[in-house]
Amino acid sequence: MNFFSLEKSFYSRASMYSFIVILFLFITMFFGTNQFKHIDLALSGYMVAAAVCFIGLVYRIVAFAMRPATRRVDGRSRKNLKNKARKRRTWKAITVTLFENIVLQKFIFKRGLYRGIQHLLVAYGCIGSFIITFGLVFGWFHFELVDPNHYAVSVLGLKTFVMDVEGWPAFMIYNGLNWTAAMCLIGLSMMFYRRIKDRDLQVTQRFEFDLVPLFILLAVTLTGLALTMSAVLFHGTLYMTISMIHQLTVITLLIYFPFGKLFHFPLRPLATAVPLNYQVGEDIPMHSCKRCGTSYAAQEQIEDVVSILQDNSFDLQLEDGSYLAEYCWDCRRKLRAMRQMNMLNPRTKDPYAPIDTNTGISMPGFSKKKA
Amino acid sequence: MDRVLYLEFERCIGCRACQAACRECGGHDAKERNYVEYIDFMESRQTFPMMCMHCKDPACARVCPANAIQITKDGVVLSAMEEKCIGCRNCTFGCPFGIPKFDFEKNIMYKCDMCYERTSQDISPMCASVCPSEAIRFIGFEEMMELRRKRAQSNLLQGKKPTEQNKWNFVPETFGVYTE
Amino acid sequence: MATETKNLHRKGESFIPTHCSYCGMQCGMNVRIDDATGRVVGIEPRYEWPVNQGRLCPKGVTAYQQVEHPDRILRPLIKRDGKFIEASWEEAYDLIERKFKEIAATYGKDAVGVYGGVSMTNEKCYLVGKYARVGLGTKHIDYNGRYCMSSAAGGFNATLGMDRGSTLPWTDLLHSDCFFLAGSNTAECHPTSITWFWRGRDRGAKLIVADPRETPTARIADVHLDLKPGTDSALANGIAHILIKEGYVDNEYVVQRVNGFEDLEKMVGKFTPEYTSWLTGVAQEKIIKAAHIYGKAKKSVVMFARGVEQQRKGVDNVGSYTNLALIRGQIGKFASGVATFTGQGNGQGGREHGQKADLLPGYRKLTDPEAVQYISQVWGIDPAEMPGPGVSAYEMLDSIHQGTVRAMHVICSNPAVSSPNAHHVWKALEKLDFLVVNDFFLSETAEFADVVLPTTTWAEDEGTTTNTEGRVIKINQIRKPAGESKPDWRILSEIATRMGRGKYFKYGNAEEIFNELRVASRGGKADYYGITYEKIEKQQGVFWPCPDLEHPGTPYVYQDSFPTPDGKANLRIVDWQEAGEIQSKEFPEILTTGRVVFHYLSGNQTRRIDFLMEKCPEPYAEMHPEMASKYNLQDGEEVELETRRAKMKLKVRLTKAIRKDTVFVPYHWGKQLSVNQLTNPCLDPVSRMPEFKVCAVRLRKS
Repeated sequence: MNFFSLEKSFYSRASMYSFIVILFLFITMFFGTNQFKHIDLALSGYMVAAAVCFIGLVYRIVAFAMRPATRRVDGRSRKNLKNKARKRRTWKAITVTLFENIVLQKFIFKRGLYRGIQHLLVAYGCIGSFIITFGLVFGWFHFELVDPNHYAVSVLGLKTFVMDVEGWPAFMIYNGLNWTAAMCLIGLSMMFYRRIKDRDLQVTQRFEFDLVPLFILLAVTLTGLALTMSAVLFHGTLYMTISMIHQLTVITLLIYFPFGKLFHFPLRPLATAVPLNYQVGEDIPMHSCKRCGTSYAAQEQIEDVVSILQDNSFDLQLEDGSYLAEYCWDCRRKLRAMRQMNMLNPRTKDPYAPIDTNTGISMPGFSKKKA
Repeated sequence: MDRVLYLEFERCIGCRACQAACRECGGHDAKERNYVEYIDFMESRQTFPMMCMHCKDPACARVCPANAIQITKDGVVLSAMEEKCIGCRNCTFGCPFGIPKFDFEKNIMYKCDMCYERTSQDISPMCASVCPSEAIRFIGFEEMMELRRKRAQSNLLQGKKPTEQNKWNFVPETFGVYTE
Repeated sequence: MATETKNLHRKGESFIPTHCSYCGMQCGMNVRIDDATGRVVGIEPRYEWPVNQGRLCPKGVTAYQQVEHPDRILRPLIKRDGKFIEASWEEAYDLIERKFKEIAATYGKDAVGVYGGVSMTNEKCYLVGKYARVGLGTKHIDYNGRYCMSSAAGGFNATLGMDRGSTLPWTDLLHSDCFFLAGSNTAECHPTSITWFWRGRDRGAKLIVADPRETPTARIADVHLDLKPGTDSALANGIAHILIKEGYVDNEYVVQRVNGFEDLEKMVGKFTPEYTSWLTGVAQEKIIKAAHIYGKAKKSVVMFARGVEQQRKGVDNVGSYTNLALIRGQIGKFASGVATFTGQGNGQGGREHGQKADLLPGYRKLTDPEAVQYISQVWGIDPAEMPGPGVSAYEMLDSIHQGTVRAMHVICSNPAVSSPNAHHVWKALEKLDFLVVNDFFLSETAEFADVVLPTTTWAEDEGTTTNTEGRVIKINQIRKPAGESKPDWRILSEIATRMGRGKYFKYGNAEEIFNELRVASRGGKADYYGITYEKIEKQQGVFWPCPDLEHPGTPYVYQDSFPTPDGKANLRIVDWQEAGEIQSKEFPEILTTGRVVFHYLSGNQTRRIDFLMEKCPEPYAEMHPEMASKYNLQDGEEVELETRRAKMKLKVRLTKAIRKDTVFVPYHWGKQLSVNQLTNPCLDPVSRMPEFKVCAVRLRKS
């Protein structure tokens, strides 16, 4: 069946993808929970919020991809992915971006070691917590007692490996959320410290955008850790209350996730598009500035930018049919200044012509005639 | 904010005090975000300062695949949001004025934010405060219109009303954050 | 024009209003300090200061970076085996005391020379003179202003009878109808004054610029007189010729207030446009046009700077340009007159109070017995003790070769970069038996020193300076001295004490010195008696002369008469004279030197500021492409410049905005990058100013 005709049976592309995602969730749940027999009803709040979160994410991503700029980059990437001649570049782009940009987050470390560490801690703390939470909520994995001393880990209904109840793998896995919470706590504390201390940041930061997500994450982390404290140190005092509050904070986080600052997480893979398509190298054609001749970008990127601007109905075309994006930065600035000083050669209106010299005749100062 | 940045290129003496001052602004990380350049040093010593126009519908934001360029409620077009910017540099190519700068080290775009720390409190930005030649001024909208009318003779505004999309061709040395 | 202006106050910081450390504009600025640490963290515009209204040049914006700079010298340095070793103040003073006493005992007191500077407060400049004459008892005292303002001083003294750089406040420029700028690239050298010219232009004022280069100032000019370097007196005479011929002379003014008009008329008779054009290389019609514009203007200002002054005819040039203002009857009136742009921060004040070889405080002459009597009484010494006049800066350095000067104390100056014929000067500095240098960065001169004493920057001490207008202003202390550094006045007083003259140098703070200066200047031409720190604060600066405490100061001078014996100004009658060195077959081109906007003087301060170094890291040879073609040079290639004294290599920078026979090189670098290796030490007979602006040069592609 053609993909586009499938899309026509939905109100929108976003609803189609939402449907597919929810369907996928239920199918995996079906297998994970032994045909819905092992659903942990205590986690149903999480389940609903997670579903909302996923639908939100889908809507946001689809809306994003419909922006002319994103669509163009997306299209360019798909085309280049299929291009066999670019296979080497493609694989290199994907592996390097995945490893350096997403796994190691090198670009953040370049903005500062402190910022790199705080972001790495929070990022992996959150990702780990989400995997465990979603896994348990949707029953993607659970533990079965094989004999009094051993657990079996069951993933999507299939038994994988068996471990000792007292052994350290079990200890690590059972306390998984505590480890990720600890990472988050350290990272978040570092972030709060930076936001309070750094005067420059205070200039541009916005409470609702930059601080609210930190508060939500902090609330989730603290209540989660409080649960463990209650269980381990205080014999379950207030356990149910804390559990309730924790659930509420997590639900808030899940519903907030697609709409606030944290949404940058699913956008990160877009960074692959840069080395994939545009990064300047020997193997791709370059664009030269139409005025000074400097090679300043990949030909394909300039074409994309021109077409995005056209899609947004920007009229940035000069008299000779060239587009401003086809001139390098320096020349674009000069063109503007010269045009506004009436220095572009008035006889030819030719942007490549040499500038009208003022030596000898001199331009009039401040729009006045010379004496 | 009811004041605008007004540029008059002919006045520029090329001292680059605006660039030195830009480094002093809060949040600028000691990097200047504006430009002072020679038109053509071989021909004349004419220089010009260049700052962001703070477009209402900025081309840089439109060409950004990550939607990382935001506009404040005062109309200031900010640098790319650090968490979103993927470092594709589309903005540097799309901007009709060649304004956004790119930090290859940190893999992020940065640009003139009209000294947001200052202008958000209606304080003149550093570049306009220090400019010794008054090539850069931070003035009221009315005063700007007055100066513009004086210059109308040399301008290209001839019966046509510029729009946000093609003001490049028309509106000369005026820009800034203002409402009509 | 003035829209409402506010400052940004950041939490945990405060401002202290003060002035810039650099040029004679002395722009007002607020320096930001961190309240917790007391460290200088930045600047904030000082909108309320009338001269610059918050505006600053790139040097001003980054000036604060000197204070906390890692290159600061924080402890005294003593040179042992060719290397500087940190020492205590006691050790340094012990050595200085021993050496100075030794040399004075063997060769006489005059064998110790003092070389001052004027990039420091009036208090310090005043004390340098007293230190030399009372503390060390030497006649060998001169200062770096000899390379800066001495020709203007000589010219003004001769024509107007008094040396105040400007006859009008700068804020008046807004109302002038015509500016005649000669040898001044004010856009780059005094950038904040450009506002006043541009605002004048907005009102329709005309601008005439005489400069071999089409500088950013000349770019907007109505007439740019692109004269050959060293031909200023001819150009001025040529303009005077047309003014007289076309009836632009203010006859009433000339009869009442000016001497020598007939002689001038006779002299300039031959300076027809043809002749002037032939001498100066400026097109006849431009000269005629300039003369008509200047002649027609009701309120006009003639202004000049080092371009005309740093020549062997510097005094004559100043005099001939001043003639123009005099015959047009412009001096002593609103928004009109004559002015010179002061190069150094305190170039005006620093030359008034006895730092010059032949002057005593208050612009008194050392050759005048009454003046010696008065100052001796103020200082409490026997008039017989007062040393006689010494020699000028370059001559003092030169006399080291003859063994006249054996030891030297250099304060706030860098003659190793700023003196002409640098190789000769470097050899002299090497030859010195003992050299003490006061500085806060290790300058090229300090590298020759035996002892370097760490001084404070301008932000770590208070005092007054006198700006280019003649306005006495107050520099405020921003923070306590860094490390073990001390203000110069304290160092000088302590050395004087070591020399057994402590009773004449009992100062607790800068204001005590200023109060002594007030008394010392009382009754002199530069009378500061009525100026107090409070008055400066209250009035936003006080223009001298200000003879008593009730006097408000004198923004306009010469309104009624000139301070000459007969109350009339004297026109300076100057016949044509060639520059010290003219083009020849061997040396066919002209070399001229100057400033760039990013650097100040010898560059010892500005070459350490990142922003300024990024924008202008090294000197270059600016020339016309036509000249470059003669030597097969391309933009960016290396060229070897050679004069009769030395040669050096520089990168070529091509522009059509310069005369075809002139090479321009900025002078802010030391050692092998110093263009003063090439410049001519030919001195003006009156002001002893070396001819930095003209010498013959040959080029070779390297």
